[in-house]
Amino acid sequence: MSVVAGSARRAARRPAGPAAAPRHRPRLRRAARWAFLLPAGGYVLFAFAIPIAYNLVLSFEQTSPATISHLTAPFAGLSNYTATLTNPVADSAIVRTFSFTAASLLFQFLIGFALALLFNLRFPLRRFARSLILVPWLLPLLVTGTMFKFLFQLQGGAVNQILIDLHLIRQPIGYELSPGWAYVTVLITNIWIGVPFFTVLLYSALQDVPAELLEAARIDGAGPWQRLTRVTLPVIRPVIEVVFILGFVFTVKVFDVVIGLTQGGPANSTQLIATWAYNLTFQDFDFGAGAALNTVLLLIALFAAPLYIWLNRQTLRGESP
Amino acid sequence: MRTATRRRLAAAAASIAALAALVVLLFPLYAVVVASFETNSQLFGASQYSFFPSVWTLSNYTTVLSQQGSHVLSSLIIGAGTTAATLAIALPAAHALARYRFRATALLVGSLLVAQILPSIVIANSLFLIYHQLGLLNSYLGLIIADASYAIPFGILVLRAFMLGLPGDVIAAARVDGASEWQAFCRVVLPMSRSAIITVALFAFLNGWGDFIFALTLLNGNTFEPVTLSIYTYLGEFSQNWGEAMALAVFAVLPAAMLLIAAQRYIAAGLTVGSVKG
Repeated sequence: MSVVAGSARRAARRPAGPAAAPRHRPRLRRAARWAFLLPAGGYVLFAFAIPIAYNLVLSFEQTSPATISHLTAPFAGLSNYTATLTNPVADSAIVRTFSFTAASLLFQFLIGFALALLFNLRFPLRRFARSLILVPWLLPLLVTGTMFKFLFQLQGGAVNQILIDLHLIRQPIGYELSPGWAYVTVLITNIWIGVPFFTVLLYSALQDVPAELLEAARIDGAGPWQRLTRVTLPVIRPVIEVVFILGFVFTVKVFDVVIGLTQGGPANSTQLIATWAYNLTFQDFDFGAGAALNTVLLLIALFAAPLYIWLNRQTLRGESP
Repeated sequence: MRTATRRRLAAAAASIAALAALVVLLFPLYAVVVASFETNSQLFGASQYSFFPSVWTLSNYTTVLSQQGSHVLSSLIIGAGTTAATLAIALPAAHALARYRFRATALLVGSLLVAQILPSIVIANSLFLIYHQLGLLNSYLGLIIADASYAIPFGILVLRAFMLGLPGDVIAAARVDGASEWQAFCRVVLPMSRSAIITVALFAFLNGWGDFIFALTLLNGNTFEPVTLSIYTYLGEFSQNWGEAMALAVFAVLPAAMLLIAAQRYIAAGLTVGSVKG
């Protein structure tokens, strides 16, 4: 049946045409199909493929301010990598990027999940609150960084004022002056940015947990905690995986927030890979060294790629979501 | 009776918890808006932070409006340009990837997923030298091309996911009626994809508007500069011009706030479709 219907449809799609047409038409049609992809292909080549390849080339070149006006510089072997990776600032930036990412994701998940559970309850103002919570995620990142720089000021800063008013501290803390505190402020800011993202995605996952399943567990005598850990969490696990992977990808490349808040200081104590690579390239004009560190960042980010693609495997096969 | 009371109490508790969360989450924005109406001496080096100042001034706004108009305009051009470039490139590509089966479809979609992952600083480093050769530094064209590097892969994936759900029969019918592939795309696919197009356009605009990293690396500030870059220069090593920086920050936040009010459902859709199902 379906075979007949299919061929009938195919026949209908190709009504009577000249006998010669089928010979060149498929090729023309195929060309037309590729034409739709042409602008995107050109863009991907120009904005992604070439810069990535060029970054790799640069990382093996002996660059200097004088070579900026040329596309190529003398071959340098591995010297950019050895020089960059034996630099203590770069090493600590790499380690810090990992600890920063891990801490960000952990707190973003805990806060985001708590808020998602809260919004999953029925209460007035729920919709209103859920839409307002998106705000931090939509702001320009540099503005957010600047905003928190203002809040964490030593003199007349809101955070110090709140802590003093609550009698938690006596003297204002110099967040910008102490390496440890500076790191904490960047971390808090980044958590603030990512919470809406976690909340919205986890909330939409919670909405899809079948109510009958939770009801059945309740009848079987499961308490709220057991229902959460034995039913809800296993059901939404795929979304949790996606959120963590995307969160990882967003966080390893954090740049604007650090520049807006601390510019990597004090004494490079808040440098992450991206900001240190920026310093090497655009402050020291050592493009080769910057490119070498960028390659490291690229490898770390690409570490998530196979997982990300695997999670999107349905999309690859062209199935409608 | 008793369960109803308990339920009402639980709802009240949840409301209070939600309000508390909102107060904590939104306080930074409140502080910025308040600060934009204060003078520098109230803001920088003050002995106390006041949650509700006794003296308010409009001077930051008058200064910003007279000095920063061109920067706001630059940001608008960059946002609009990023939106236009994203839609022009992503729409046909999404259509082709949704409707035709290429042998390379999985490879193409996979590389778009990878493109989304690439850190901007890596691209900025190379683009600086490439643009230096091509004369694209300090140009709107160059900056918009760079700024679209997040929105274009995102746009193709979101639009394709949406277009896969469109009824194929309608497009086939248009083709039978003699429409070319391009006409079917323009007259059938595009109108049906309206909501996904709005979502992608919003995100592309916010990306272009809020970009900082490419503006910092690909512009030297002598020709034009977007609002994000001006805020940054307001608070450089030698100046602590908080009042004006905060007034400018309010301008920088406006598009996001307006879009959230006017188009909230498209934003929520972009968040979920773009990541979970995209």
